[in-house]
Amino acid sequence: MDRWWSDGTERGGVLWGGVIAIVATGAFLGIFQNALVRAGSKEDGLAWKYEAPKLETLEDIMAKQNGGSAPPTPAPMVDPNDPLGIPAGVTDIPDVGRPIEVTVTKVRELVDKKGAVIIDARDAPEYAAGHIPGAINMPFDEVITDTARLEAFDQQGKPILVYCGGATCELSMKLGYALVAAGKTKILVYTGGMPEWTAMQYPIEQGAKPEGA
Amino acid sequence: MSALAFLRHPTVRRVAQLGAGVIFIAAALPKIADLASFAGSIHNFHMEPVIPVAVVNLLAMTIPWIELLAGLALISNVKPRAGAVVYTGLMVVFTVAVVIALARGLSFECGCFGKAGAATLGTKKLLENLGMLALGVVASTERRA
Repeated sequence: MDRWWSDGTERGGVLWGGVIAIVATGAFLGIFQNALVRAGSKEDGLAWKYEAPKLETLEDIMAKQNGGSAPPTPAPMVDPNDPLGIPAGVTDIPDVGRPIEVTVTKVRELVDKKGAVIIDARDAPEYAAGHIPGAINMPFDEVITDTARLEAFDQQGKPILVYCGGATCELSMKLGYALVAAGKTKILVYTGGMPEWTAMQYPIEQGAKPEGA
Repeated sequence: MSALAFLRHPTVRRVAQLGAGVIFIAAALPKIADLASFAGSIHNFHMEPVIPVAVVNLLAMTIPWIELLAGLALISNVKPRAGAVVYTGLMVVFTVAVVIALARGLSFECGCFGKAGAATLGTKKLLENLGMLALGVVASTERRA
């Protein structure tokens, strides 16, 4: 070994020296790049410490809109005679321009009163095996890159409730953001998803009902 | 020629190194361009018990550059064996992460090749990873001076 750069004959200490050099230089460059980007604009770079993306809950938003610490009061009802509106008895959902997290109680209310268009973001077989009654299947993989389909989606003047089946339902959160980007409003994300719904022993619908049916 | 001898053949090794190098460079560039999505992808694996959530961003900024350098080493034939060892090591880590995620029933895009290659985790992804891992092993074989 007489050339520092070698061409595949390196072994032992020289080999591991190279491995460490690649890892250390790569790590340095990565941190350096981020530091440079952050020096230009903090938002463009990554924070040094990661924080998991979180959605604001409906309760938080309602509380804020009702003036800080005041307990949430029932939101105004929508005209029951408006066929496209939200049925009476379902609190109106504020339009905040980003997905809102909802809990199982609210989901049950929306399902019972048909107060939202429900999207199941899981794959077709999972959907067919059992889903929240009335839910439309829009598999995440199929629709996430299909902007036209998301834009064409008819929310019938109602809020859209998205859920899936993962441990934390990140797909539904992502689909929620995609729907907002596609111009949809009042997007709700049920992070508990199918596992929680099943655990609550709430009604489940089976079969592959196509979208829009 | 035995199978082992074939895998240690200089031309086979060089082809494996070039293939592995192209894979890593192709994987690194989109991630470097969009670190935030990659950080989200890492978080999706939910490796909290092993990797604290706080370091997810540090991993997201460093891994793509390490991939890029390893890929360049493999392609340029400058320390290709070191590049191949880094490649193989990372592939082992990625594959283990995919296996654990699948075993836990997690379903999300892996972000393996940045956002564009939004493959959702599944058996196909696992087989793909095993193939890329095998490529790394062949690329790592020693060249006799």
